[in-house]
Amino acid sequence: MGDGNSNSSSRGISGSSSNNNSNNSNSNRPEWLQQYDLIGKIGEGTYGLVFLAKIKSNRSKSIAIKKFKQSKDGDGVSPTAIREIMLLREINHENVVKLVNVHINHVDMSLYLAFDYAEHDLYEIIRHHRDKVIQAINPYTVKALLWQLLNGLNYLHSNWIIHRDLKPSNILVMGEGEEQGVVKIADFGLARIYQAPLKPLSENGVVVTIWYRAPELLLGAKHYTSAVDMWAVGCIFAELLTLKPLFQGQEVKATPNPFQLDQLDKIFRVLGHPTQDKWPTLVNLPHWQSDLQHIQGHKYENPGLHSVVHLPPKSHAYDLLSKMLEYDPRKRITAAQALEHEYFRLEPLPGRNALVPSQTGEKVVTYPTRPVDTTTDFEGTTSLQPSQPVSSGNAVSGSMAGPHVPSRSGPRPVPMWNESWQHSNAKGCRFPGSSAAADEKERLRNGDAWISSTTEVETLLREWLYSMQNFMRGDCASEDPHLKWGYRRNTRTQVQQNLLYKRSESYLFFLVLYCDDPAVTIKLSFAQNIR
Amino acid sequence: MASNFWTSSHYKQLLDQEEVDVVQQLDKEKGITLEDFKLIKMHMANYIGRLAQNVKVRQRVVATAVAYMRRVYTKKSMTEYDPRILAPTCLYLASKAEESTVQARLLVFYTRKLYVDEKYRYEIKDILEMEMRILEALNYYLVVFHPYRALSQLLPDAGMTDATQICWGLVNDTYKMDLILIHPPHFIALACIYVASVLKDKENTAWFEELRVDMNVVKNIAMEILDFYDSQKMITDERTNAAMNKLPFRP
Repeated sequence: MGDGNSNSSSRGISGSSSNNNSNNSNSNRPEWLQQYDLIGKIGEGTYGLVFLAKIKSNRSKSIAIKKFKQSKDGDGVSPTAIREIMLLREINHENVVKLVNVHINHVDMSLYLAFDYAEHDLYEIIRHHRDKVIQAINPYTVKALLWQLLNGLNYLHSNWIIHRDLKPSNILVMGEGEEQGVVKIADFGLARIYQAPLKPLSENGVVVTIWYRAPELLLGAKHYTSAVDMWAVGCIFAELLTLKPLFQGQEVKATPNPFQLDQLDKIFRVLGHPTQDKWPTLVNLPHWQSDLQHIQGHKYENPGLHSVVHLPPKSHAYDLLSKMLEYDPRKRITAAQALEHEYFRLEPLPGRNALVPSQTGEKVVTYPTRPVDTTTDFEGTTSLQPSQPVSSGNAVSGSMAGPHVPSRSGPRPVPMWNESWQHSNAKGCRFPGSSAAADEKERLRNGDAWISSTTEVETLLREWLYSMQNFMRGDCASEDPHLKWGYRRNTRTQVQQNLLYKRSESYLFFLVLYCDDPAVTIKLSFAQNIR
Repeated sequence: MASNFWTSSHYKQLLDQEEVDVVQQLDKEKGITLEDFKLIKMHMANYIGRLAQNVKVRQRVVATAVAYMRRVYTKKSMTEYDPRILAPTCLYLASKAEESTVQARLLVFYTRKLYVDEKYRYEIKDILEMEMRILEALNYYLVVFHPYRALSQLLPDAGMTDATQICWGLVNDTYKMDLILIHPPHFIALACIYVASVLKDKENTAWFEELRVDMNVVKNIAMEILDFYDSQKMITDERTNAAMNKLPFRP
């Protein structure tokens, strides 16, 4: 790291052949970028973009380069990037993603993190089995994936690091090569050292994607522990078994409140109502007290976790899973204990290559490679024509289509339609520039298809934001189409853009304007039919 | 690692005194002596502390910022990395690393209040540029261990909770020296407890012996601390200003 030649130079980098942004500042590439051949964009999130590149001196080696944008607000390097670098620089474990390099581009003040590239992740593996193979993941693979995930997590926890955002898309699996089938825990933007926090852990925002969020967080715990990661592992374990998210609650995005009633409802339906008997500190949690009627009013039927995950109640797999989904975080199994569980001592034994079973006779599933958007260069400039209507008969729905890029490590659009939006007393109005309308009748039979391409959404949002910027007299400067905050400096009006996905072919977008005066909240929404 | 000091980047980066006491060639050319070098670093540690009081961040953030500043100057010259911008930027970066983010504009504002000298003037953009240069200079190693945690664990064990205040103050003052670059933090904590025992006339030999640490190291650090207090009496503002004035304004 710190190769010393990271000063900007004026020499260019030869990007991939499809990189044809002739009008772009290709000639201004810093020297350090020249050691890589850029292949294309493989993902994006609120922080910036992720690229796939090959090392020129060793073409067989692929690197994922995460580019953090410099915020325009004078905040310097994002604290998320700082946290991630800080932790990853100290970490070294086979089951944790390896940071191979950090680069700084002084010209545009952007920061690049280079990681060993992993071809797969649990999100795509699960999806492939659900939508393409239409068959469960074989028991060996499930066990090996889980064991390695726990092994990496045990390392983190024993070093006082909570990941806080475990979800299938953050659990990477190495593709072909020496490390094939090895699990790598990734995305440490939310991770932190919890040995001696200067502030209560709850203070830097609500964390963990809602479906994998532990009940103590949903109930407003202020000081939570590594047990939140184990809950997420339990949810992921169940998802590996059934290919479906275990608790698919609908998130209320507008509230800064961690309390998510629907998510709790989904959990209680499967695991039954938590009781003070089983979880003594339950009564101390803020929302258990304050939302008595909602949470405690409804009594839930018999718990039926085993029937949801189709496991015999006496099986070791079920025993382990139920210990991960223990309500009381103090009783919840730890990563170290889980690794010692009987489940891992029985055939098939977990191995290093989770994708290829050691026993013969097992069919090896070939997973698709990560889609690469070769039209985007390091600047994040695409060769898309923003004015072109995206509905123009693009029938490709698979994830393999060239320029279609699935949203990776950023917050995935959550498939839900939140009724509370409609009932909100704020002014709801259709965005003026939008010509689109939600067409309820055009729902496909397969209603649970994910957005497989953010390119479409991106184009839409670009158009929309462009109009939006005019609407806001140019003060809204959001460039990132996903959940980016922009604001008007003068009035301190904050703009939160929410991107939601309806379970049909229509996408719904929300824009919430928060002003200093809390009474003035404008919610804008519009629906767009994609195809 | 984040919790185990012995596997951390901090431990691996510890230096010998001789490696720390090296004035960069570029600074030598400006006439900076080793004594000037130490004075400027101490002055900057004070500067960071004063700024921190104004923007209200905890002592650990100050300690991390000072450690960053001292680490940078083991590799980079003050001629190229103007301490008057580097110091506040170290505080800025440390505030992010220690999860107590301070806005750059606040630092700019309070620096103007604290120092009228125009050489201390800088803009937000100077901080943001320097932040990246510091990250690079630190080779992206940002986790720093401090004596405070060890101190709060050791004091009750030594039956010296009544000396908490004085020990805490001693530890704070160690950041005016380069000790954090040279010794494991718990040794620094022990040395401070040792000094406090001597000052308070408390007999602690048995307790120290039970710890099974190399008492020579502890005593040497304690001596350095006492020497520092002695030498500090001679330091005048004029002396510090003379050292600072050898630095070019805005390289």
